[in-house]
Amino acid sequence: MRTKITQHLAIIIAIGFLFNFQSYAQENDAENYRIRFGLSTKKQPDNSRVLEASFVGTHKKDRKDRVPVYNADINFYNVTEEGDLLLGTVKTDQEGTAQLTMPGNQKYITNDEGYINFKAVFDGTDDLDGEESELAVKDILMELNLEVIDSVRTVIINAFTLDSLNTKIPIEDAAIKVAVGGYISNMPIQEGTIEGGEFQFKFPANISGDKNGNIDVIASILDSDEFGNVVQKKNINWGVNKKIEIESNKLWSSAAPIWMYIVLSILLIGVWANYVYSIINLMNIRKEGKELDLKIKK
Amino acid sequence: MDTNSRKRELVKEFSPMLVKSSFLSSVWILTLIAIIAVGLYAFYLQLTQGHEITGMRDNVVWGVYIINFIFFVGLSYSGAFISGILHFFKTPWKNSVTRIVEIMTILSIIVGPIFILLCIGRLDRLYYLFLYPRIQSPITWDIIAIITDIFGCFLYLYLTFIPDFAILRDNTDLKLPNWRKKLYTFLAINYQDTESQRERLHKITSIMSKMIIAMAIVAYTVLAWIFSLTLQPGWNSTIFAPDFIFSGLYSGVGVIIIAMFIIRKYYKLEKYIIHSHFVMAGYVLLVLSLLFGYFTFSDYFAKWFSHKPADIYLLNTLFGHYFWQFILANYIGVIVPLFFLSIKKIRTIKSITFAALIAVCGLWLNRYLVVVPTLESPYIPIQDTRLEFMHYNATWIEWSLSFAGIAAFILFFLLIMRLVPVISMSEIIQHERHLETKQDASLKK
Repeated sequence: MRTKITQHLAIIIAIGFLFNFQSYAQENDAENYRIRFGLSTKKQPDNSRVLEASFVGTHKKDRKDRVPVYNADINFYNVTEEGDLLLGTVKTDQEGTAQLTMPGNQKYITNDEGYINFKAVFDGTDDLDGEESELAVKDILMELNLEVIDSVRTVIINAFTLDSLNTKIPIEDAAIKVAVGGYISNMPIQEGTIEGGEFQFKFPANISGDKNGNIDVIASILDSDEFGNVVQKKNINWGVNKKIEIESNKLWSSAAPIWMYIVLSILLIGVWANYVYSIINLMNIRKEGKELDLKIKK
Repeated sequence: MDTNSRKRELVKEFSPMLVKSSFLSSVWILTLIAIIAVGLYAFYLQLTQGHEITGMRDNVVWGVYIINFIFFVGLSYSGAFISGILHFFKTPWKNSVTRIVEIMTILSIIVGPIFILLCIGRLDRLYYLFLYPRIQSPITWDIIAIITDIFGCFLYLYLTFIPDFAILRDNTDLKLPNWRKKLYTFLAINYQDTESQRERLHKITSIMSKMIIAMAIVAYTVLAWIFSLTLQPGWNSTIFAPDFIFSGLYSGVGVIIIAMFIIRKYYKLEKYIIHSHFVMAGYVLLVLSLLFGYFTFSDYFAKWFSHKPADIYLLNTLFGHYFWQFILANYIGVIVPLFFLSIKKIRTIKSITFAALIAVCGLWLNRYLVVVPTLESPYIPIQDTRLEFMHYNATWIEWSLSFAGIAAFILFFLLIMRLVPVISMSEIIQHERHLETKQDASLKK
């Protein structure tokens, strides 16, 4: 009896495990969210600079619950000793991101150490407090050279800053990643550190390119405290040029090989014919039984 | 032998399981229905909210559902295979086991494919598979194989049930509701157990039994090809198909032993399902555990020896993140059954059943390790993917649907056993008839 009670208890407990009593209801009250307002910058291959402000609320208890702040006016400034120079105003999108792209020839005011100070400001509304975030980066010039040196395909990256007299000052100790462009995401091929303003390595021989063998080589300095994000890109004919031959009658062609249709048909006809044969025999059994029934009744 | 009176005796003997419903069985049925109901609720949530509420993501696109699918379909194929073998070789001790095997075969081929439907993100586009099939795709082969197999299994099961339906139709002692009598009359298709009817039925059952052995091998091979014809690490192996067949048989025999143990105990069938049935099934399980161990070792050994980076990464994952699961599936799941089944002194009904239980659990875990770690180890490194997207953890939705599948399997097993006796009456009579003929022949000599 005790064993049976234990068995039944075990079953009830097991069923209990199937239920989830956790609530999924979201409480969208602003007080429950911690507002995160951040500013980042990326220098693009054409020397234009993207200033990006991210404006997102994160639930205090559940950090996975993120609510972007949409349609908020963000002002971007170049901060100088004389005052803040407005660079532009952009509204946040559905991801809570506001992006301002400054042209490559844009002049910025730097401080004594050569840093450009940027500031993103949200003035605030009745429901949300004002926010601001600052960022200081040095303007960097990055050159990506793809050269064949002694028959070796070599990637050479030179990076430097300019002082007030436009003298090139090589940068030191900056982490760099080099990747090749892909359809969905970029594929990393080399990581390293720029020393003395230079980083170079041998380009791998087995990277696939497009139908003409063209490939995008992308060099990036990412999340640097000194330079922010800097990207340089070049297209070159260094990829493996694989010609796509259209083959017929293969597994991967649009129509299956003839032999496959034949084998499949033989198998299926064999099996289903046997089913039909069995059903016919069952009908005969039924017929015979019916006749026997009639005979007995007579 | 007076066949008619013997038929009456057998019906009387098996009538408790056909008519009576104990309190315990009602509780069980209600419990199973409750589990299925929770599963249906989980299915509703999945259907309305999408696969986001499961653990499946961009990397691991297959999870517990596909594992259950492989497991149940494996049970079905092994059931078909074993049933065919028992009929084909006219095994003398088969009468007590065949029906359990046949019911398992048909139910698992019904429950299994439901899990593959749960994997499909856009069920509303399911008919595209039939409208625009690619004949060269293993998925199309699998659909064809499963549909053909379901039909074949139903037909085969029905053929073996007809004589018992006829016995139940003709019996007047059994107090059955009218609908059941009508059902038996309809399903018995005027079978009167005449010589010619018997011969005809025997002929087609015999052909079907041979055919479903071949079908089981072909269909499970096709299922294995869905994995092994890809270049994924861990799947792209030439021995994947035979490995699948033997592991399917291993789990199938395990489930048969567990079912035999429960049915024997619950329905008090000690007279029919005897110690030697367990021992024979135990021998089969012993051989299969060795074969399963051999194939598993060969597969992983070749991967380790070839030293391909992707395979090594997979092996590191298996021996790292999945260490205990790997040990339980591939060591405990083989060594424990081997230990209990190979030593004669400890080869009792309970120990054989325990060994079978370990084998079945180990095998399920093995299927998990075949599917999930491989999908977590893609060839191309994926950037900008969160860790929770790369690694798979089944949610309660998936677990409750899995338990619902198992509950449905057991519930239908119970319901079929209420419709026809779990021991084939016609087979017993046939066996006794055969013995009598043999005795007569020896007396004449």
